[in-house]
Amino acid sequence: MQNIYEVQSANKIKSAIIVAFFVVFVALAVYIISQALGIYLGYQPGGLGLVGLAFIISGLMSYVSYYFSDKIVLAISGATPANRKEYFDFYTVAENLAIGSGLPKPKLYVIPDSAPNAFATGRDPKHAVICATQGLLVKLNRTELEGVIAHEMTHVRNYDTRLQSVVAVMVGLIALLGDWLLRASFFGGRSRDRDEGDSGVIILVLGIIFAILSPIIAQLIQLAISRRREFMADAGSVAITKQPDGLISALKKISADTEVLEVANKATAHLYIVSPFKGKKYGSARPEHRGIGWFSNLFNTHPPIEERIKALYDMS
Amino acid sequence: MNYFLIIVLVIVVLWLLSTYNFFVSSIARIKASVQEIGNQLKRQMDLIPNLEASVKGYLKHEKGIFDELTNARKAVAGAVKSGNLQEMADAGSKFASLLPKIQVVVESTPELKASSVVENLMDELRDTADKIMYARRLLIDLTADFNVKRVSVPANIVAKIFNIAEQPGLITQSKDTKTPKIDL
Repeated sequence: MQNIYEVQSANKIKSAIIVAFFVVFVALAVYIISQALGIYLGYQPGGLGLVGLAFIISGLMSYVSYYFSDKIVLAISGATPANRKEYFDFYTVAENLAIGSGLPKPKLYVIPDSAPNAFATGRDPKHAVICATQGLLVKLNRTELEGVIAHEMTHVRNYDTRLQSVVAVMVGLIALLGDWLLRASFFGGRSRDRDEGDSGVIILVLGIIFAILSPIIAQLIQLAISRRREFMADAGSVAITKQPDGLISALKKISADTEVLEVANKATAHLYIVSPFKGKKYGSARPEHRGIGWFSNLFNTHPPIEERIKALYDMS
Repeated sequence: MNYFLIIVLVIVVLWLLSTYNFFVSSIARIKASVQEIGNQLKRQMDLIPNLEASVKGYLKHEKGIFDELTNARKAVAGAVKSGNLQEMADAGSKFASLLPKIQVVVESTPELKASSVVENLMDELRDTADKIMYARRLLIDLTADFNVKRVSVPANIVAKIFNIAEQPGLITQSKDTKTPKIDL
């Protein structure tokens, strides 16, 4: 039995470890791939100019998506602003939780879809947007809604969207570099005429292995970060509302609902409170399926609902 | 060796600054959250007469509740005027304890329950009580964070150097923690 503050600090530490691991991995992969690329392109190891180029390209791509993420996401999901009269509970609950967490009140939007779900976006608390589907607002009562909105407020307070975009830059950087190395090796480098020695060959082989594997590994770590942040947001939600029951029953209701959110796609999946792809059942409870469940878990943006509910029960 | 010393010194100074800033900004935030409680109580006070007027026709025979509402409003008004945090909090909880009473009356009268005006009243009352609850909770959370940091190692060194006092926060009085009694 842990109290909510212990859960929060444990979550923070775990999240920091994953992020640190990610940074170390990215640095290593970038170093090795760039060394190999340097050899291929005919100059001596230390081709950091290319790393800079790849960093700028992937940084620019992510900057655009980061700065305009709220507008893009809202446009994709067809959300409309929520007013106080029509969505009284949604509006006032968000207002109250903003008071309770000391954050500015986020902009509120409603997606006209009957599948219950919600997400938060925006680059910082001042530009935060919380979006709920019409189904969520109809199916949940006020206490459950408080749990869900507080979960989203915690994403906002923890700068999760900012972290995700930084991570996305890194993943993009590795993918780009790996791509260049593989391309260069297909077309054949000029450096083959030269005598490279054993170390050159080892770096080349390592570089190619990294070029193939590291984009996948980087993405897996990115997903692990995303899952850890979900646990953090659940704990933060309880820290604000002080009642885990609301979020527990909301999560149960949302996951039991069989409707599929039509406006969600792979690019926006990690934003939602519960993964919008419910068709794919993950984290099977049956022991013979556990191995498969563990493996498919690696590719999920969200931890299994049962685990989240269990973590919440431990807090109450 | 010299470099090492300089790095350590820089880290210590940075830590000192950030810890000091935490205390100073926390005190400012605690002050702001006290004002927020006052704000919300004022908002509640302004809201009640409007709500009363809009449902008076439905609740003619429940005059007692209106008297209590009026009394609660007066208490809130007095507390806000005096600016005393404790009084404000007490007045707020006095109002919150009225809510279940109103709820009981509404639930036991079908024509009231069906009326959208009364439903609206109940929503607004619940919301305004929630707002005050969350405003108080923010103050409680902030003062708890502050006071815990003040006494824990190593931040307590900074607190001692700059002579940073404990924040009182909200003192819950015994009548606050009693279960509200409902007369039927």
